[in-house]
Amino acid sequence: MATSPRGVVDHSALKVNQTGIVAAVLVAFIGSAFFRPALVLIPLLSVVLLLGTFAPNLALFKQIYFKVLKPRGIVKPRLVQDRPEPHNFAQGMGGVVLAIASLFLVPLPVVGLALSLLVAVLAFINVAFGYCLGCQIYYQLGRAGLIKATR
Amino acid sequence: MSTQLWALAAAGAVVLVAAGLELWRSSHARGRALGLTAPTAAGDTEPYILYFTGDSCSVCRTHQEPALAKLVGVRIDKVDAIAERELADRFHVYTLPTTVVMSGEGKSLQVNYGYAPATKLERQLSEARRGELRNAATA
Repeated sequence: MATSPRGVVDHSALKVNQTGIVAAVLVAFIGSAFFRPALVLIPLLSVVLLLGTFAPNLALFKQIYFKVLKPRGIVKPRLVQDRPEPHNFAQGMGGVVLAIASLFLVPLPVVGLALSLLVAVLAFINVAFGYCLGCQIYYQLGRAGLIKATR
Repeated sequence: MSTQLWALAAAGAVVLVAAGLELWRSSHARGRALGLTAPTAAGDTEPYILYFTGDSCSVCRTHQEPALAKLVGVRIDKVDAIAERELADRFHVYTLPTTVVMSGEGKSLQVNYGYAPATKLERQLSEARRGELRNAATA
């Protein structure tokens, strides 16, 4: 889980998660040009993201960070006063979009791959610039009173 | 391979359209938010910053707050955009963080939707100070 003490989020775990998403989509995208079954990475990634949203202990990339990268000092922790909910929401949103992309991969692979690329682009923007579209949508939903958020 | 190229083109087109819409939205919101007023402290004549934030805003903590901390001697009024929704709506805050450079009289001079670096805020504040000096000289 990306939370350490209450109200503190380890942003390195989030970055590793986003980097994992970008890498997995790129491998599926480039790999499928030569070996079509590589597309199976998209539904697998969707399952990983959705599982991680509802059961943080099953968040594959975050667990790699907490169990391997952090203890070995490969990635240093970066604790920030923050709330995990918007990040989990964003991850869940990515998982849902990838699930929709997976449905298109066989009948309309262009649509499926394009949706997957959009998830990768948003994850990359989050890693590189710190802009989290899912968190903004979470804010808008909270503002509209659709979810109990941000207080 | 052509499937991948078409997918790349489709994703690129969506990104471009989204970026265009975002530019239009921010300039539209900025145009409506400029010149609005907010309550100001009595006797305060220096430009200040209205800083809209929220618990869900990570960029606020990782980028915007360190940038604001670099502005020495500048009054920063932190506003929770959810708790003070009326004020946030008045300034058309559709994204967090949003920073508004206010004149000493409490009039909005510049609106930044999204992260605004310290250098940009410093420039906007010095423009605001120059503007107020000009106004004082012509009054």
